[in-house]
Amino acid sequence: MEILVLVKAVPDPEARLRPNAAGTAPDLDGVKWVLAGYDESAVEQALLLREAVPDSHVRALAVGPAPRTEEVLRAALALGCDGATWVEPPADLAIDPLLAARALAAAGRRSPFQLVLVGKQAMDDEAGLVGPAVAEHLAVPDFGPVVDLRWDAAGGRFRFARAVEGGLERLEAPPPIVVALQQAWNDPRTAKLQNVLRSRRAPIEKVPWPEVAAALGDRRARSVRTAFRLPPPRSGAKMIEYSTPEEAAQKLVRALREEARTFP
Amino acid sequence: MSGGALVLGEVRGGRLARASAEAVTVARRLVGPAGSGTVTGLVLAGAPAAAASELARTGVDRVLAVSDPTFDAFHASRTAAVAAAVATERSAAHVVVGGTAAGRELVGRLAARWDAAAVTGVVDLVPDGDRGFRAVRTVFSGRAFEEVRLEGPRAVWGTHPLAFAAPPPGPEAPVEARAISGGPSPVPGTAVGFEAASNASGPDLAEATVVVSGGRGLRAPENFHLVEELAGALGGAVGASRAVTDAGWRPTSYQVGQTGRTVTPQLYVAVGISGAIQHLVGMVGSRTIVAINSDPNAPIFKVADYGVVGDLFQIVPALTAEVRKVRGA
Repeated sequence: MEILVLVKAVPDPEARLRPNAAGTAPDLDGVKWVLAGYDESAVEQALLLREAVPDSHVRALAVGPAPRTEEVLRAALALGCDGATWVEPPADLAIDPLLAARALAAAGRRSPFQLVLVGKQAMDDEAGLVGPAVAEHLAVPDFGPVVDLRWDAAGGRFRFARAVEGGLERLEAPPPIVVALQQAWNDPRTAKLQNVLRSRRAPIEKVPWPEVAAALGDRRARSVRTAFRLPPPRSGAKMIEYSTPEEAAQKLVRALREEARTFP
Repeated sequence: MSGGALVLGEVRGGRLARASAEAVTVARRLVGPAGSGTVTGLVLAGAPAAAASELARTGVDRVLAVSDPTFDAFHASRTAAVAAAVATERSAAHVVVGGTAAGRELVGRLAARWDAAAVTGVVDLVPDGDRGFRAVRTVFSGRAFEEVRLEGPRAVWGTHPLAFAAPPPGPEAPVEARAISGGPSPVPGTAVGFEAASNASGPDLAEATVVVSGGRGLRAPENFHLVEELAGALGGAVGASRAVTDAGWRPTSYQVGQTGRTVTPQLYVAVGISGAIQHLVGMVGSRTIVAINSDPNAPIFKVADYGVVGDLFQIVPALTAEVRKVRGA
């Protein structure tokens, strides 16, 4: 089975977040870029499938600027991906999720695949647009948010569940499909030191930008971030003073009805 | 950007999903006051009549109802194909999609098909001069807000659940039955079963206006009924901290937090939850937060609006009784 896993470099989720001076973007000066969250789960899921299905290969695919994109591809290689492909856009080109999806689809269709795995959303912009948009450009079905993905070798199809309102929808589908993974329901492995060292010298396939540029469509349609800000700090809870539990309940309900006005 | 808008009316159990009515509120703001642009509703289902009629009373100008049983199964690619065809036919500048699991899936697929700009998780619209509106959305697990401008002639807007009020029912706009194929689209998967979440009896976590969550402070799984009874009295959904789901007291479908669900109810009640960052990012967008905890230094009190320090085994039953008394239930 040929598996493509789409990854993105995101700011370290542990890093302190602050806006830039203009208030138009996060201040990313000195921030560490990592493979994180849903993407980490997607890589883990790809490796689990490779272990379960003989003669499988996992290729990590990313679009984005140097050096961060190369670094997360090396992180994916260190975790055990067999190959990595990098689409590096021109430095002056702003990449929104739908443009990224077009570039990823154009690079992805250069070789056959049975499965494209992607996190349901990136840890930073949380757009959730790339998986479905890649699927549309590749003209294959997409499913998300998915948990519990398995390959049914006898039936020649994937079996999985979508986490939807009210429960889990069980589905099966033949390849090729795009799957957007819900959450870290698997327990992502950490890279072994020797693999980290080896990944530093591993070759990364580079797709020249002109090869994908033809597939980029209407460039007037794009999203532009105009502001970035932190929520106002919460001042801390107003504490309910009481002498009996009944008094606490009465005061709280009164506050919710009369002050907060959020009592149902 | 001006021009008309199309709203996807999602059908669930034969009824219109509330998120779709919330999407009409966004569409009306995007096209401007009545007379300046039309809002068209689109319902795709085996039996669309009831949902189409509900959508027609939300303030749209007309509803197109496509009766086709293949839409009753999950079919994002075909829904996107039909929506793109209708949006083009009606010369719409905007398509608005409600914040459900299917809706989130549809936005990217439709934007790719319709060659539009797109944004998801919209919690507010702010005026953007003669360009119309910018979308406000949360990023970085609710730790920050951004504003996004959609450029180009076409835009797809995905709303965040509960961020916009659903319009009160009004007069019914015309409903027109249509047959639209939208052209080729890949064959989807086959649904082979459905497992209802064990907390599925109340409202869904992501859509509930009240959520009551329990944490390790409950001490044992047999005490979780305290949380369920309070949620029941408030008409809300039940959630849990990761400590509770990791311990197996409740299934992972209950989990609120970074690795679980993100909720934004009007009222969030945290019972016996200390407030680890991984939990806070899943609920900090709630309108009003109440924390009940025995530890006055618990971090949950830093994000809560109201705090009760005390023994939850006494406070919660008293609160449930008071809520029942006030709500007359």
